[in-house]
Amino acid sequence: MDAVVEMTSVTKEFGSKQAVRNVSLAVARGSAVALLGPNGAGKTTSIAMMLGLLRPTRGQVRLFGGDPGSAGQHAHMGVMLQSVSVPDRLTVVETINLFRGFYPAPLPTERLLAAAGLKEEGRTMAHRLSGGKMRRLQFALAMAGDPQALFLDEPTVGMDVTSRRQFWDELRGFIASGKTLLLTTHDLQEADMVADRVIVMNEGAIVADAPPERIKMEFGGRQVSFAAGAGVDLAQLDRLPDVLGVQTAGRKVMIRTTDSDALLRRLIQGEWDISDIQVTGAGLEDAFVRLTTEMGERA
Amino acid sequence: MKATLSQWKAELLRTGRDRRFFLLTLGMPVAFYLIFINQQGGDAQIAGTFWGEYFMVSMAAFGVLGSSINTFGVRLAAERKGGWVRLLRTTPLSSFGYALAKTLTQLTLSLLIVIVVFAVAHFSQHVDLAPARWLEIVAWLWLGSLPFAALGVLIGMAGNAAQALGTLVYLALSMLGGLWTPVQALPKTMQEVARWMPTYHFARPAWNLLSGHSVQWSDVAILLAYFVLFISLAALVQRRVDSRPEG
Repeated sequence: MDAVVEMTSVTKEFGSKQAVRNVSLAVARGSAVALLGPNGAGKTTSIAMMLGLLRPTRGQVRLFGGDPGSAGQHAHMGVMLQSVSVPDRLTVVETINLFRGFYPAPLPTERLLAAAGLKEEGRTMAHRLSGGKMRRLQFALAMAGDPQALFLDEPTVGMDVTSRRQFWDELRGFIASGKTLLLTTHDLQEADMVADRVIVMNEGAIVADAPPERIKMEFGGRQVSFAAGAGVDLAQLDRLPDVLGVQTAGRKVMIRTTDSDALLRRLIQGEWDISDIQVTGAGLEDAFVRLTTEMGERA
Repeated sequence: MKATLSQWKAELLRTGRDRRFFLLTLGMPVAFYLIFINQQGGDAQIAGTFWGEYFMVSMAAFGVLGSSINTFGVRLAAERKGGWVRLLRTTPLSSFGYALAKTLTQLTLSLLIVIVVFAVAHFSQHVDLAPARWLEIVAWLWLGSLPFAALGVLIGMAGNAAQALGTLVYLALSMLGGLWTPVQALPKTMQEVARWMPTYHFARPAWNLLSGHSVQWSDVAILLAYFVLFISLAALVQRRVDSRPEG
């Protein structure tokens, strides 16, 4: 079995509401997958079914080729869920050791403290940690069993900038060693940083499934911005080829385009009176916003 | 098994730091014993035995009930509410292993409470029984505590209401089951109510053992029935609560 997780025609209903509609996907061993979508898109419900926390109404979910609900399938994976509070009256080290005790071949406590950046907090009572450090502790718990696969539901919520940087460094090391990652996040730029595959969900269904570069090119393109001189007729910009959209703020212009190279050539060769030219890749955020609105319009 | 032991160890560590456990759950039965024994005098005769011995059993039962509800039930409620139980369900610790660890913890605490209350009675009131009798009574109170662990699980399903509900059940079962005032001293209707209380059937065999009688099967049967009732209700509530949608 090469897939870590396999969902086949999975539907989950709560009463009359369909949270997940006929979703099929497989997460290959060694891949890094980001699950994106607005609140209520069905990401958390999907992850919950992958982990055996919820049973699908229809369809089948396999985890490491077996039943996701069986504790025996959980020996080689680590999980971060949203809004989990740790038990009171245990120190950080004791909480980590509690989790280490669950796994057949846990990582050393020191290694986990270092990975989570909690070396100073080992003796602190775990439930008194600040929001960011609490998330880092939960990352240490996810890593406790030396997992082959990590499932992270909105992992960086509540982390400060320094914590995030260290966290992504750790995750990149994890992926580089050939292990499997599945995460959901609202910080699409960060998903872009680690994922080699992005699955976009909206209203319970998968609306896109591609490498982040493709998602960005297909749905967002690139962004060219500049300051336009007084002689430039802004209305003409819309008529240029490859232009997806134009935004202006005073004389400041931002153009979203499918081909920034061709657009620049045209602007320079046409001797447009423009200055301060900048080209940026449109973030996944833009792609995502566009994608979901397009889906909405189509519906 | 390793996972269960890890969980058990952490539970005991937490209890060792729980001031509420020592002050209330363990402290109250001990304080009540010392106070009420002096009002009546430990040598007073009751139910074929002495008040000092009889009330020792009452307070041990009261302590076991308290830890089942306050330590076990309320802690379980917090762990469920805080999403901790959900996270544990994604680990190699099985639901059975978790339940087993909780039960082992509860049995450990029950044993501790019974021994502490008995030690206080022994040293303050010179309660002295034959070694075999001590063992019988300790063993009964120890194993008989299981239905109350199941009650703790049920209270653990009550979410935010667990603390208030727990306190209510704790006090009601103690009073109505005759743990504070002997059943013989209660009005007739109250005596009838007591006969239906799990606490009464938990303490009565131990009182009987004091006066040389043996454990009656009717008590065991009623406790077993309560055990099944509490566990079934808890399973029922759990199924309803855990199938709710999420974000």
